[in-house]
Amino acid sequence: MKGSWFQYAKGFVRVKLYKGDAEQFLNEAVKQRVELWDLSFEREGKLIFYVSIPDYFRLRPLLRAVRGRSRVLERHGLPFQMARLARRKTFAAGMLGFVVALYLMSTLVWDVEAEGTATISEEQILAAARAEGVRPFQWSFRLGETTELADRIAQRLPNATWVGIDKQGTKLGITVIESSRPEQTKLQGPRDLVASADAVVTRIVAESGRPKVARNDRVRKGDVLISGIVGEGERTQAVISKGEVRGLVWYEFKIESPLEREVKAYTGEEITRKYWLIGNRALQVTGYKGPTFAMSDTRAAYKKLRLGPWTLPFGSGIEKEKEVVVLSDRLSEEEAKNAGLAQARLELLAKCGEGAVIKAEKLLHEQTENGKVVINVLFEVEQSIALERPIIQYNVPQMNVEQGE
Amino acid sequence: MPRVVRKLRNWTARILDLPQDVVLNLPRITMIGGIQMTVENHRGVLHFSPESLRLAMEKGELEITGNELVIRNIGAEEVFVEGTITGVKLSAGSKKNP
Repeated sequence: MKGSWFQYAKGFVRVKLYKGDAEQFLNEAVKQRVELWDLSFEREGKLIFYVSIPDYFRLRPLLRAVRGRSRVLERHGLPFQMARLARRKTFAAGMLGFVVALYLMSTLVWDVEAEGTATISEEQILAAARAEGVRPFQWSFRLGETTELADRIAQRLPNATWVGIDKQGTKLGITVIESSRPEQTKLQGPRDLVASADAVVTRIVAESGRPKVARNDRVRKGDVLISGIVGEGERTQAVISKGEVRGLVWYEFKIESPLEREVKAYTGEEITRKYWLIGNRALQVTGYKGPTFAMSDTRAAYKKLRLGPWTLPFGSGIEKEKEVVVLSDRLSEEEAKNAGLAQARLELLAKCGEGAVIKAEKLLHEQTENGKVVINVLFEVEQSIALERPIIQYNVPQMNVEQGE
Repeated sequence: MPRVVRKLRNWTARILDLPQDVVLNLPRITMIGGIQMTVENHRGVLHFSPESLRLAMEKGELEITGNELVIRNIGAEEVFVEGTITGVKLSAGSKKNP
């Protein structure tokens, strides 16, 4: 028990017995079961000992019996500490205030984290959470059960299947699992497929609707290829016609291709400059001496030092300036013609849409004038010619009549 | 202790092979090196100074000599002394009351 926290809580004092018979006092104290410890004797015959506070008050009759006088030398323990604290009110208030503040702050929510999904953004989740009272600096006891809270947040997020709240101390993490939904189809009205250009049909496949033309038929722009009106008489219906229609379409191109062209070329001369990077500034180290070029092409590569996962603000860079000259290249007529045709083919395929194939090309006219080759060329392209045209409902019977004829 | 009781106890201790100190309230002294000492079954302190400690026993007295002697703990039955112990003298004299 000596020196333990229990002793400390009770409080104890160091006492000097400066008058009276020490041995007799000691024996009396032992007999009365007053606990004394760490007794020592001074040369003048004065006894010094430690005694706990409750026992100290029991010493009085003993002292009277041996005609002793005592003096307290040291005071230890909680009762004396408290008394000292009572004298320093601001300090005590500060200590209490600290404990209260620590407790209050630990009951606040300090941080709300949410992870967004593909369709539900982090902002949406946080807004829903905020509407339910989940925000930084909210009291955590006001939020209630996390499972109920999660359900309420889930109700505010229409696309969420499940919302989980993970509370770790003063931090709230919100996890959202979104529901998988079928892909939304575009709303479509009944329609026909009509020809987008004058063409010869090479292939027609109707998924829905009734095909109106056959292979090798010649169609004009705007002719109905697959009709969206099916059924006869009373059961006539307008449907969304779908299908693939391909046809041969002819395009005439007039191409002008120059005989002379400018080409950039490197002379082989170059200047290399080395840099040191410090922060976002570069210090040129080498390459001060050297010729200057009238035209040049500069390429630079910078590298920053890395240390594990961090990029350091130091690095080095190398810059190469290559001299450039412009050479004029003279083409033969054949080369100019081929270059022009290649360009025309690319433009044509881009214009005709996906899956277009050039079936044939025919040179109609070729002429060289003013340093240019001018050619007229006819392309035969196989491409999709189907174009959607909506059917307006009120003219269905009318069209039906026309079709009946 | 009456004579008959003491004789009976002595006899019991001998028959049952019990340690004498348990049965007869004899002092039991435990010493650790020259620094610590525990005396059980003492009958009070006769004299105490930094150089010597005299304890009353059931029969006679025990004198502990040394330097800077301190009674770490004292109870009705035992004394725990610390310090530089240089000598222990047990003198079986007549019974003394503290």
